[in-house]
Amino acid sequence: MIHSCILLYIDPGSGSYLIQAIIAAILGALFYFKNVWWKIKAFFFKPKKEDAEEEDIAK
Amino acid sequence: MITFTRHPSSFKDPSGFVFESGGRICRQVNQYYAAEYRQLMESGLYKHLTDNNLLISHQELPENLTNTAEWYTTLIPEPVSQISYPYEWCFEQLRDAALLTLSVLRTSLQFGMILKDATPYNIQFNRGKAVFIDTLSFDKYNAQQPWIAYRQFCQCFLFPLYMEYYLKTDIQKILSTYLDGIPVDFIAKLLPLKSRLSLGVWLHVYLQQTAAASAKAPNNKTGKQAMQFSKKKLLDLTGHLTNIIKNFPEGRSYKTTWSNYYEDTILSKAYLQEKEKIVRAYCGDSTARSVLDLGANDGHFSKVFAGNNMQVIATDADSRCISRLYQEVKKNNIQNLLPLILDIANPSPAIGFHNQERAAFHDRIKTDLVAALALVHHLVIGKNISLPALAGYFNDIAPELIIEFVPKEDEKVKQMLSTRPDTFIDYDQAHFEAYFSVYFDMLAQTPVPGTSRILYRMKRK
Repeated sequence: MIHSCILLYIDPGSGSYLIQAIIAAILGALFYFKNVWWKIKAFFFKPKKEDAEEEDIAK
Repeated sequence: MITFTRHPSSFKDPSGFVFESGGRICRQVNQYYAAEYRQLMESGLYKHLTDNNLLISHQELPENLTNTAEWYTTLIPEPVSQISYPYEWCFEQLRDAALLTLSVLRTSLQFGMILKDATPYNIQFNRGKAVFIDTLSFDKYNAQQPWIAYRQFCQCFLFPLYMEYYLKTDIQKILSTYLDGIPVDFIAKLLPLKSRLSLGVWLHVYLQQTAAASAKAPNNKTGKQAMQFSKKKLLDLTGHLTNIIKNFPEGRSYKTTWSNYYEDTILSKAYLQEKEKIVRAYCGDSTARSVLDLGANDGHFSKVFAGNNMQVIATDADSRCISRLYQEVKKNNIQNLLPLILDIANPSPAIGFHNQERAAFHDRIKTDLVAALALVHHLVIGKNISLPALAGYFNDIAPELIIEFVPKEDEKVKQMLSTRPDTFIDYDQAHFEAYFSVYFDMLAQTPVPGTSRILYRMKRK
């Protein structure tokens, strides 16, 4: 009885496992292409001194 | 024998519970959570979080105050002066609570732990800043597993913020209905079409809605064993959430009835100065240490009370006023002023399981003094709350009261009455004093020079 209560408590978000995997894969791909783009830019143009910090891809 | 009262909201987590004993708020850690608790304390995570004021600190008391078999240890957390809930917070307060949750999560990962839940009820505003209060939310981190509280985080933080951002409307009443956060189906139907241009909305709302719908279908293969996760993926995900929330603008520009009240209305600077002098004198005569300022607007007088070393709760029904005040409190690091959204005609009720999980506003917020400045006419004429009913209300909440009476001769009241029939036959100074005298002793009465308004200081009989 106690164990089933525990599972109910700690398992509220398990339905979101798949979506997190998909979102993380999409974000990973975006970061990858962003890196490639920075490298191409750096090849053709003189790289700037400041680090190309992760730009917000938010919103 | 020591007696204790278990907090009515503390019934979900088998790791422990909050209780009150001997006037102290305590938190019991159960045997079930012993290993995680030890990891929190011994990994350096607790020290790191408390040193940076992200987590509430506690003293450990090795005494079984509840006399229960599952007891492991007892914690005495640093007291939080007033408890507030997300449906009383403005946009920026919810935004800061969301960022704090993500910051605590990302710090925990460095110490091999993770947050097992992500609800705004784990956060309180203490000394002017958001602080994490649930010491039992930390779990051992398994790098193969995604974040179990991701959906809860979206429902409780991200979706309400999206709603307020895109719909430009207050979401507090909705949050008090959806205690577990806004369901993805609901927000997906409400957000405007242009929101689909945002990567964040597309990923966290629409994609999640699609996944949720397919997960409900029978025989789907979306079991958690079907995929692998990694720490990098989790950091990408939480980093993305942090960027979305950080990029919500502070101090949005849309204007409401009250947001420029003092600038736009007939209320002059001289009036405010005169009133301030009187309020300061009243404060000097009072021994109150805590104040509830009702209808605080831009918090002009809340700051006067705070300047007198009182613990102040500044409330207004207008979220823009509270938002501006909160940003000012943050900027100037005013530690004893907490701005909250409160509609006096409909204050936060008791809600949740057994109607006891989250207490009603006035059962939770108790102060020595209540201030109601330039408020009575809005309640009586604007909200049709009769003077005797109002006197009874203040009797319930105010051991001491500073109140301003604004008579019918006042320009503001004339303005209010110009658009409606004057049915307020007993709205005058004599009746006001008679009704309030039933419950209160009048300690002082001072006309505000240059106006027909009168300030009173009263003490409950």
